[in-house]
Amino acid sequence: MSNKTKPIVVIVIAVLAAAGIALYLSRQSAAPRTGADGSLASSGGGHVRGNSAAPVTLVEFGDFQCPSCGYYHPIVDELVRRYPDKVKLEFHHYPLVQMHAHALDAAMAAEAAGNQGKYWEMHDMLYDHQKEWDRLLNTDAQFLAYAGSLGLDANKFLRDMKSTDVQNRILEDIQRGSAAKVSGTPTFFIDGQALNPTPNGVDEFAAIVNNKLQASK
Amino acid sequence: MKQRATLICAAAFLGMIDALYLTLMRGLHVPCSVSGGCNEVLTSPYAEVFGVPLSAIGLAFYFTVFILAVLEVFEVAHLVRWIFWLALPGFLITLVLIYLQAFVIRHFCQYCLLSATLVTIIFVTSAWPHQSRQLPQPR
Repeated sequence: MSNKTKPIVVIVIAVLAAAGIALYLSRQSAAPRTGADGSLASSGGGHVRGNSAAPVTLVEFGDFQCPSCGYYHPIVDELVRRYPDKVKLEFHHYPLVQMHAHALDAAMAAEAAGNQGKYWEMHDMLYDHQKEWDRLLNTDAQFLAYAGSLGLDANKFLRDMKSTDVQNRILEDIQRGSAAKVSGTPTFFIDGQALNPTPNGVDEFAAIVNNKLQASK
Repeated sequence: MKQRATLICAAAFLGMIDALYLTLMRGLHVPCSVSGGCNEVLTSPYAEVFGVPLSAIGLAFYFTVFILAVLEVFEVAHLVRWIFWLALPGFLITLVLIYLQAFVIRHFCQYCLLSATLVTIIFVTSAWPHQSRQLPQPR
């Protein structure tokens, strides 16, 4: 091998090796996000946004303190707005409590608001203001302030946040997610089929929805 | 000279893996067991410039530095000075990114800290004075 070809060979081999290692690591990181069969046994339960009779159901397992979920929040909203009669969002709590200290409290705040008919208002509030509360040592006062700004009864909100009924609802969601082998958030399913890798924007979600709508014709 | 270039090659190789990994994981949840704040940092508005992810810019940087350093190792061309002029803005940008992580986003991303270390190694190694520089002659 001549002295001029040696560096080219080294560069090509090193670039291929670096690409291979990075690809392998990214696949490893993304792999445990959904179940081995990539499906959700049954949908139902959770909170539904959009037309409940819509033919396509986007199921999300989310965590209010997870930045990626915050990133996807406006994307998913836009999708439901874009297909008002065709797509509904079914949200399930999947608080990653080992990573996010306030994830469970946030889920409970949303459920407590739901008891007063304002689940989605609190859901949006928590995601829209995620950066405001995720670094607090204690979120009680902040969540109570959100409840106040939504016009909720403060005493009932505080009582419901500690109620076993609310805890059980979240636990049910977690169990449903665990059964579907969800381990990261957000994890999405469309009509029971896991979206892996997660679509990278509203247009990618829309393409999947269009395929589903075409297939069902 | 060859040792310096070899060290730069190794740092740039690791940098390519790091930057490509972050580019592939864009929009996905990144495991972050060491520093804990990767997703906060990677989804912040500072993770891209005019829609281009910083990781992709980093990948281009490491790729270029790697090629220049390999050419130096094989003595095809002496390009450490070029590497220095690439690494200088890279190092300054790294300082800004560490400041943003520490004081604005207030979370640290382990992959970004690894990249900061690698850029620093490349910068310091390429800036180190040339050993063959002639000493002043005694009078």
